[in-house]
Amino acid sequence: MEHFFLNIAHSLIVWLMGLGLSSKGADLVLLIVQWICIVAIVTINVIVLIWLERKVAGFMQQRLGPNRLGPAGMFQTIADAIKLLTKEDIIPSAADRIIFRTAPIFFIIIAVMLYVVLPMGDGMQIVDLNVGVFYFISVASLSTICLLMAGWGSNNKWSLLGAMRSVAQMISYEIPLAFSLLGVIMIAGSLSLSDIVAAQNNIWFIILQPVAFITFFIAATAELNRGPFDMPEAEQELTAGAYTEYTGMRWALFFLAEYTNLVAVSALASTMFLGGWHGPWLPSWIWIIIKTYLVMLIFMWMKWTFPRIRMDHLMSFSWKVLIPVTLANILVTGAGIQFLAGMGW
Amino acid sequence: MSLNDAVFFLLAVITAGSALGVITSRNIVYSALLLVVTFLGVAGLYFQMNAGFIGLVQILIYGGAISVLIIFAIMLVMDVEPHRTNPPSPRLPRRLGGIYLSILLVITMGAAIWFTHWPLAVGTTGADEMAVLADLMLGKYVVAFEIAAVLLLVAIVGAIILAKGADDK
Amino acid sequence: MKGQGLLKGLYITLKRAVGKDITIQYPEQMPYLQDRFRGCLHFDYTKCIVCGLCTKACPNNVLSYESRQVEGSKKKELVSYTIDLQYCLFCNLCVEACPTNTLYFTHDFELSRYQRDQIKIVYEIPKEEPSAVKVDLKGDAPEPDETKKEKQLAAMTAALQKNPQKTVRKMVENDEDAEILAGILLEDEQKLSRMAALMIADREKAKKVAVAFVNKEKKDRLKGGGAEDESK
Repeated sequence: MEHFFLNIAHSLIVWLMGLGLSSKGADLVLLIVQWICIVAIVTINVIVLIWLERKVAGFMQQRLGPNRLGPAGMFQTIADAIKLLTKEDIIPSAADRIIFRTAPIFFIIIAVMLYVVLPMGDGMQIVDLNVGVFYFISVASLSTICLLMAGWGSNNKWSLLGAMRSVAQMISYEIPLAFSLLGVIMIAGSLSLSDIVAAQNNIWFIILQPVAFITFFIAATAELNRGPFDMPEAEQELTAGAYTEYTGMRWALFFLAEYTNLVAVSALASTMFLGGWHGPWLPSWIWIIIKTYLVMLIFMWMKWTFPRIRMDHLMSFSWKVLIPVTLANILVTGAGIQFLAGMGW
Repeated sequence: MSLNDAVFFLLAVITAGSALGVITSRNIVYSALLLVVTFLGVAGLYFQMNAGFIGLVQILIYGGAISVLIIFAIMLVMDVEPHRTNPPSPRLPRRLGGIYLSILLVITMGAAIWFTHWPLAVGTTGADEMAVLADLMLGKYVVAFEIAAVLLLVAIVGAIILAKGADDK
Repeated sequence: MKGQGLLKGLYITLKRAVGKDITIQYPEQMPYLQDRFRGCLHFDYTKCIVCGLCTKACPNNVLSYESRQVEGSKKKELVSYTIDLQYCLFCNLCVEACPTNTLYFTHDFELSRYQRDQIKIVYEIPKEEPSAVKVDLKGDAPEPDETKKEKQLAAMTAALQKNPQKTVRKMVENDEDAEILAGILLEDEQKLSRMAALMIADREKAKKVAVAFVNKEKKDRLKGGGAEDESK
């Protein structure tokens, strides 16, 4: 079971080489297959996630959640997806058509790009970049532009306000997000995600870096535009923020990308702080799935518990609390590493 | 032409083409977005040269932050029709001045590139470019690095004072 | 300490999440309704005495009825009763006003309909069951005319003896006259039975007779001294 997917990939390569492809060509084909797999898994996973989110929200409000369509309401999301696919695609006449059309496509592409570096099991990483964490952060930062494009292209005041908010929020929270990961990187001594996982063989970094984990979690919630930091979407004041004018599949792409980002960030959190794919008894890829879903459940728990934070509080919390705390964490971590190195560890 | 060359030319065409688009587009928001494409193309060139870290810095700082600030500034001050935000100057002397300056720039840069001796590095960068970079930045060039950091801090404080106003009391 | 509230909130939602849900799966599970729950307004026409108090009590003109005079009697009987539920605000005033508990709220709350005119609830009272005599005749087979008339007469006589003032109120112009007439009838058994027969057979004639009785009595009283009149 442990090497289930690795065996599949290996036999695929062997088969392709048997067909007469060079090893580079086989690698290229494998890369394409992996890419398709990521997109497929992401899309199907979103269906489960939305169902889970609805169930969690229902349980927390003493409701039952969806339970009509299929076992425990599992098919509700599929019905929703079909509805979204068949809906009319409306582009406002005053919208900037090119920007309006391309924004959701870029958004989902960037969301899927994040998966390239995530280790989904022992040796199950598409590309093991030696700057993996940095890749994750910098690629994720590009999604702000897509939101800005969506908000501006819609030519709608709610959209633009929502886009402005999300950009301000995401730029502000990128800094504590990166800073909180820095403590882990300092201990692991590497930016490569596989090295970081390997460094957690004995002890998880959540124990060594509890403050960093909490700040990472808060900053990630803001980066994901999730409640209680969902100011950009703030339904009650901005209708749907940057997504106001989007309909049907274009809107669904944004939705898909948001959940894709959620999975990616949760997987990053479990890789950076919860020992990655390390775990007893079960295969490594099952462990990372369990940990990722656990982190996502905490995200949902937070979302359905806390009320939305006011915009100015949000910004001042980032600049006046999170950034100083993460900087202090880096300082303490550095001092601790030096101290322990001096002790002869 | 090897695959490497093909990728280079593709990236070069994307970078140069979008840079051309930045200056020719009549809509300044398009210009700003094409600027992002230019930055990404440059990042791609860095990647091709095996300088992954620099490429990612390019994406993070230029693609993710600076271009967003540019777009922000444009959107906040724009109050005319979007397709007339970036017109060529109507006055002839200004146009001529612009042409003169750009020719001067091309000649200067071209001369600098042409007459400088570029030592071709043999082999690739080390596998752990990060460590090399860190050693250089926090070792040999630590003073310059720290001074740059202080300079940026001063700039930030100055910007905050300009934006919020200093307390006279 | 700061942040305590956040933890408390998380604790509460967790408790709710693992605790029992309060949602009821409505069409399959019916909700528990209290006795005083006001669902659909129901009308039990067998009890109605056509007093009209409900229509007067209703603030929204939800209730209306059609009635006709029972032949040979001054009682009314119901032809139809209409509850226009779309205007009903379930205030309970008609139920409180009803003296015979004819109107009451059921626990049926599924009131939505496909057409607007279906909202109106109309009770058509079957004709062969005149409500006035329904209470008496309930369960009996239809009787021949003669016995029916006799029964009616007996009922009317009994009514006159029991509560003459109310029974004859419709025959005369005001309460004072009704009181006088009631006095006369109670004094004289013969007059009473004659009056009862007349009221069943021919209302107009009965009225004339009644007025004559009253006028005569009034004249008598005036002759007698008029002390009573002065006191009034």
